[in-house]
Amino acid sequence: MSPWLRVLIYLVVAPLIGGLLAGIDRRISARMQARQGPPLLQPFFDVAKLWSKERLVVRRSQNFYIVFFFVLTVFTGALFFCGSDLLLVFFALTLSGIFFVLGAFKASSPYSFVGASRELIQMMAYEPIVLLTAVGLYMVTQTFSVDLIAGGAHMPIILLPGIFIALMYAMEMKFRKSPFDLSASHHAHQELVRGITTEFSGPTLALIEVAHWYENVMLLGWLFLFFSCHWILGLTAVAVCFFMLLVVDNVCGRVKWLFALRSAWIMTLVFGCGNILVLWLLEVFGILKLS
Amino acid sequence: MVGLISLLVAFPFVLGLVLLVTGSNRVRRPLVGLGVIGVIVGSLALAMPGVPASVMQLPVSPETIGKGMLAIEGIITLYLLWVSVRTRQPIIALLALAQAALLGVMELGGGHHVEVARYLILDQFSVILGLIIGVIGGLICLYALDYMQEFHVHHHPEMHDGRCMFFAILFIFLGAMFGLVFSNNLIWIYFFWEITTLCSFWLIGYKRTDESKRNAQRALMMNLTGGVGFATALFLLARSGGPIELDQLVMAKPALVLLPVALLAFAGITKSAQLPFSSWLLGAMVAPTPVSALLHSSTMVNAGVYLVLRVAPVLQGTVAGILVALVGALTFLVASLAAITTSDAKKVLAYSTIANLGLIVLCGGIGTHEAVWAGILLIVFHAIAKGLLFLCVGVIEHKLHSRNIDDMTGLILKMPRLSVMLQIGMAGMFLAPFGMLISKYAVLKAVLDSMPLLAIFIVFGSAATLFFWIKWMGGLLMVTHPHENVEKNIGWGKWTALYSLSALTFGTCMLFPLVSYYLIEPYVKTQYHLAQFSAMSEGNIIIMVIMLALVSLFPLSFLNYGRNVKVVDPYLAGANKENGIQFTGSAGTVRDMSMQNYYLSDILPEAKMMKAGVIFACVLLAGLLLKVVFS
Amino acid sequence: MSGLQKSPWVIHYDASSCNGCDIEVLACLTPGFDVERFGIVNTGNPKHADIFLVTGSVNVQNREVVRNIYDQMPEPKVVVALGICATSGGIFRECYNVSGGIDSVIPVDVYVPGCAVRPEAIIDGVVQALGILEARRALMAAANFAAGVMTIERATAADLPELLALQKVAYQSEAEIYGDASLPALRQSLAEMTEDFGRMTFLKGIVNGKIAASVRGYDDGQGTANILRLSVLPYFRGRGLGRRLVSAIEAEFPKAKRFEIFTGHRSAANIHIYDKLGYKRFKSEPFNANVEWVYMEKKSS
Repeated sequence: MSPWLRVLIYLVVAPLIGGLLAGIDRRISARMQARQGPPLLQPFFDVAKLWSKERLVVRRSQNFYIVFFFVLTVFTGALFFCGSDLLLVFFALTLSGIFFVLGAFKASSPYSFVGASRELIQMMAYEPIVLLTAVGLYMVTQTFSVDLIAGGAHMPIILLPGIFIALMYAMEMKFRKSPFDLSASHHAHQELVRGITTEFSGPTLALIEVAHWYENVMLLGWLFLFFSCHWILGLTAVAVCFFMLLVVDNVCGRVKWLFALRSAWIMTLVFGCGNILVLWLLEVFGILKLS
Repeated sequence: MVGLISLLVAFPFVLGLVLLVTGSNRVRRPLVGLGVIGVIVGSLALAMPGVPASVMQLPVSPETIGKGMLAIEGIITLYLLWVSVRTRQPIIALLALAQAALLGVMELGGGHHVEVARYLILDQFSVILGLIIGVIGGLICLYALDYMQEFHVHHHPEMHDGRCMFFAILFIFLGAMFGLVFSNNLIWIYFFWEITTLCSFWLIGYKRTDESKRNAQRALMMNLTGGVGFATALFLLARSGGPIELDQLVMAKPALVLLPVALLAFAGITKSAQLPFSSWLLGAMVAPTPVSALLHSSTMVNAGVYLVLRVAPVLQGTVAGILVALVGALTFLVASLAAITTSDAKKVLAYSTIANLGLIVLCGGIGTHEAVWAGILLIVFHAIAKGLLFLCVGVIEHKLHSRNIDDMTGLILKMPRLSVMLQIGMAGMFLAPFGMLISKYAVLKAVLDSMPLLAIFIVFGSAATLFFWIKWMGGLLMVTHPHENVEKNIGWGKWTALYSLSALTFGTCMLFPLVSYYLIEPYVKTQYHLAQFSAMSEGNIIIMVIMLALVSLFPLSFLNYGRNVKVVDPYLAGANKENGIQFTGSAGTVRDMSMQNYYLSDILPEAKMMKAGVIFACVLLAGLLLKVVFS
Repeated sequence: MSGLQKSPWVIHYDASSCNGCDIEVLACLTPGFDVERFGIVNTGNPKHADIFLVTGSVNVQNREVVRNIYDQMPEPKVVVALGICATSGGIFRECYNVSGGIDSVIPVDVYVPGCAVRPEAIIDGVVQALGILEARRALMAAANFAAGVMTIERATAADLPELLALQKVAYQSEAEIYGDASLPALRQSLAEMTEDFGRMTFLKGIVNGKIAASVRGYDDGQGTANILRLSVLPYFRGRGLGRRLVSAIEAEFPKAKRFEIFTGHRSAANIHIYDKLGYKRFKSEPFNANVEWVYMEKKSS
C-alpha cells in the first residue's frame, strides 16, 4: 500500500478508531465496576458537545499551543504510518508533547502548572524506554525504518521481550491511565481537578481529546510493530495488551510521581537495558547474528 | 590573500596588545569594533570556496616562529611559578615545571629530528571552527563592550575597572584559538593551547574576589593537568620519531600512536571539562557573562573536543576509544541529571554545556565516520545556541538583578524579545526539528552501529535534558501577575549580537543540510577515505524541514490573538478574588498564587552524583592510561 | 446533532449543605443509578462543565465562590439547585448568615426540592435541565447571537412560568429590605399572571439564552402608560439591564403622553434607575406597616 494512502487512511480512520477505543475503555471499565456504562459512541458525543461550547481562556495565547500539539501529534502519527524513521517519530512525539505542556504552563494557574510539571516528569519517566525501543528494534532489524521493520521476516518480540515488558509499563503512562494518571485523569476520576487540562475548555478541549485518540492509535501501532510479520497474531496481541492496560487501570490506585519516575526508570534499566545487554552479549559471543 | 591565516592569528594578538595600553573607553570602542569586523571578515574569507594556497604562507620562517614560541613558553612557565608562589598553590608550580621539563627535554633532545611538511592546516573542520571563533566570538566581543560598560558603571562601581586588560585578553584569546584550529604542528597547537589556558585563568579571576580567584586557580590547575598530558604526548611522539603533524598523526597506524593519542584525548577531556574535571567549568561561572559565553561554551571548550574529534579515526575500534566514549557518555548522563537540580541559570547552562561536550567526546571516542559527522554538527549547533543563551542570561541578570530561573517566570511580559530569544536558544539546544536533535539522532545511530550499550547513557540523559529545558521554558511563558516591561536601555552592541545569534540559530537549523553537504561531509569523506557518504537520508531531511516549517508557523497564531475567546480567571476552587490573581485563603486572608518548579534534589543529590561521577570517571581514565601503556 | 444532550458534564458544589444531598448526588454515580450511562461525568472543573449542581444554601462565605464557579463555566450552561436548601434556604432560611437559595446569587434553571433530594429526583432534574440546555445551545447557534449581550423580546405565554419564577427570585431582595414577604409581586400566582398577560405587554431580556430580566406595562386608556414588575436576576444586576428594559417598554407605547412607575420607599437602587431615566416623584401611598409605595412619573418626549 502506498505510503500516501496509508497516511490518508490514518488521518481519516484513526480518530474513529481512537474514539471507539475510548468508548470501549469506558464500557469495559463500567462493566468491571458492575455498572452499565455509557454507549460505545460516547466519546464522539463528548467531542461534539465540547465543540459547541464557548471558548474560555485564562491567557489569550494558551490555545495556540494546543492547536500545534494537535497538528504535530497528527503529523507524528502520519509519519509513523507512512513507514518513515522510527526514531524521528519518537522525537516528533516529544515535540508535540512539549507543546501541550507549554500550553498548560501558559495558562498560569496552579492546577495546570502542577499538571504540566507532572506531565514533564511523566515524559522524563517514559522517554528512556521509548528511545530504547527504537534502539532495540534497530539492533534486531538493523534499521530505523518502520516500513522495513514491519516487513521483516521475524517477529521482533522474540528477541526483545524485556523491552516489550518495559514498554508496556510505560504505555500505561502514555495512555494516561491509573496507576500513572498523574498529570490529568480521564472522566470519572479527578486529579488536581483536571490537572494539565484544567484551564482549557470547549473546542480546545475537544482538540486535546482527538489528539489523544490519534496518539493512542499510533501507540497501539508501536506495540503492533513487535509482532509485525503475523498481523493477525499482532492484532490479537495488541488487543490483549490494550485489555490488560484497562484491567490494570481499574485495579490500581494512582501512585505518587516519585514512585512513577523511579519505578519506570528501574523497569527500563532492568528489563530494557537488560534486554539490550543480553542481545549485545549474545552477539559478541557469536551466538546470535544480527547484522 | 597572502598569509591570511597568519594574519588572522596575528591581528587579534596585536590588537590585544594595543588594547592593553588603551585606557580610554572612547578609543577602545572603535578598536574593539575594528577587531570584531576583522575577525568576522577574516574567518568568512577563509570559508569561501576556492581559497588559494597562499593563505597558508607564513610571514617568517617556521623555525623562527618555533623559537619564539619556545621563548614565550619559557616566560609563561616562569609566570606560572610566580603565580604558584603568590597563590600558595604548589600544584601549579609542579604542573608548570612538569610541562616545561617534558618540552625542554623534547626540544633539546629529539625535537629537531622530526620533519614537518605542513605547519598549517586548512580543511573544512578548521574552517567550521574558524567561523565559530570569528563570527560568534566576534559577536560576543561586541556584546561585551556594552555589557562591561553596564557592569562597571551601574552594577559594580566599586570593582576595579580592568577593562583594558579584559578586552586585550579577549582578543589575544581569539588569536590563540585561530592559531589552535589552523595549526597542523602539534607543538604549535600546544603553544596556543597553553595561551588559552592562561586567558581562561585571567578572565575567570577578573572580578578579583576570593571566589573568583579560587575558581581561576582550580581552572588553571585542571587545564595544566591536561597540558601535562599534551606535553607528554609530544614528548613520546618526538622520541619515537613519530608524526608531529596532526594530519599525519591521524593517518598513522593506531598501534604506533595510540598512547600519545590517548594522552591528547586526555588533554581534550580536561579542556572540555569532562568528568572528573568538570568542577572548573562550573566554578568558572563566576566570571562575567561574555567570558562564560565565549570561553566556556562557544569557543575554548570546543578546542578540547576539536582535538578529540581530530584524533577520532585513531581511536576507532580500540578499547581506548571505548573508554574515552564512556567518559563522555557518563559525563553526559551525570551533567544532564545535575542540571535538573539547580535553579541558577548560569549553572544550568554550564551543566548543559558539559553534557553536550560529553556527547561530542562520546562521538570522538567511537570514532566512526558517522560519529564524527554527528560530533561536528553538535559543535556547530551547540556553539551558536549556547552562546545565545549565555548572552540572553547576561542581559536578564542585569535587568532583573537575578539569575535565578524562578525569577524569570513571566519573562514574556517583562522582557518579551529576550524571552523569545531564550526560547529560540533552548529550542536549538534540544528540540526536534532543531539542530541538536539531528545531532542526537546521528549520535544514537553511530552508537548503535558500533557500541550499543552506550545508548543507555544517551537515552537517560536525553530524558533529563527534556525536563530541565521545558521547566525553564514553561516558566518564561507563565504569567501570574501583570509585569512591566523592563527591556529598555539595552545597547545596540548587545542587540546586534543577540539578533544575529538568534538568526544564526534558526538559519543553521533551516540550512543544516547545506552545512552538512558543503562543510562536514567532505571532511568526513576525506578523513575516512569514503567515496560516498550521506549522513542523513533524503527522506529524513525532508521530514525535518517540514517539521521546522510547521513549528515556525507558530508565531502566526498570534494573528488570532484574543479573538473568539472569553478571558476568565484561573480555577482556584472558586476562591478567586476580583483581581483574578489572588484568592481567599483560610480565615478570610488574601493570598497570592505561587508556583515553584520541581528540582528533584532529593532523588538527584547534585553533590553525591558529581562525586560518584568523578570516581567512575577516574577509574575509566586510569583504565584508559593503563590500557594504552601496557599494550 | 450537538451532543449536548448526550454528554452533559456536571460540576457539583456543596454550598453550605449538611452533605445529605451531596451523598445522594454521589449515589447517582454508583452502580445502583449509574448516571454515566447517560454520558454524565462528574468533572470537578467548571471550565469543562455544562450543568452546575449546587446543594446547600448561600451564605456570606460562599456567595463569591458560587458566583466564581458559575462565571468560570462556558456557555451554554444550566444550574440545577438540588435540595430545599439550595432552592430556598430550607430550614436554615432564617439564619443570620444564610442569604437564601442559590438563586440569590446565580440564575437557577431547575429546582429540585427534597431533604435529602432523592437520586431519582436528581436524575429527573438533570434531564429537564438538558432540555433547557439544548434550547440554549440552539439559541446560541443562531446567527444573530451575541455572547453576553441582552436581547429584548416580547414574552410569549410559554415563558410565563419562568417569568413568574424570575419575578419571585428578583423580589426576594425587596422582601429583605423591608423584612416583609407579603409584597404583591411575591404573592402573585400563575393564574393571576396569565390574566395580566392578557391585558399587558410583557417584555423579556435574554442573556446567553437565559431570561435574565423582565418588565411589563399597560396603557390605562387615558394617555398614561403604567410600567410595573421590573425584575432583574441578582446575578445580572449592575449592568444597566433594568434601564434598557424600562426604555424598551416605554418604546412599546408610542402614543402615551406620560409614563408612571412605582416602587417601595426604601428601594434605593430602583429609585436610582428611574431617576436616571428622567422620572420624578409625584406621590406616595402607604401599603402596609412596613412599605410605602413611591410613585414616579415622566412626560413622554
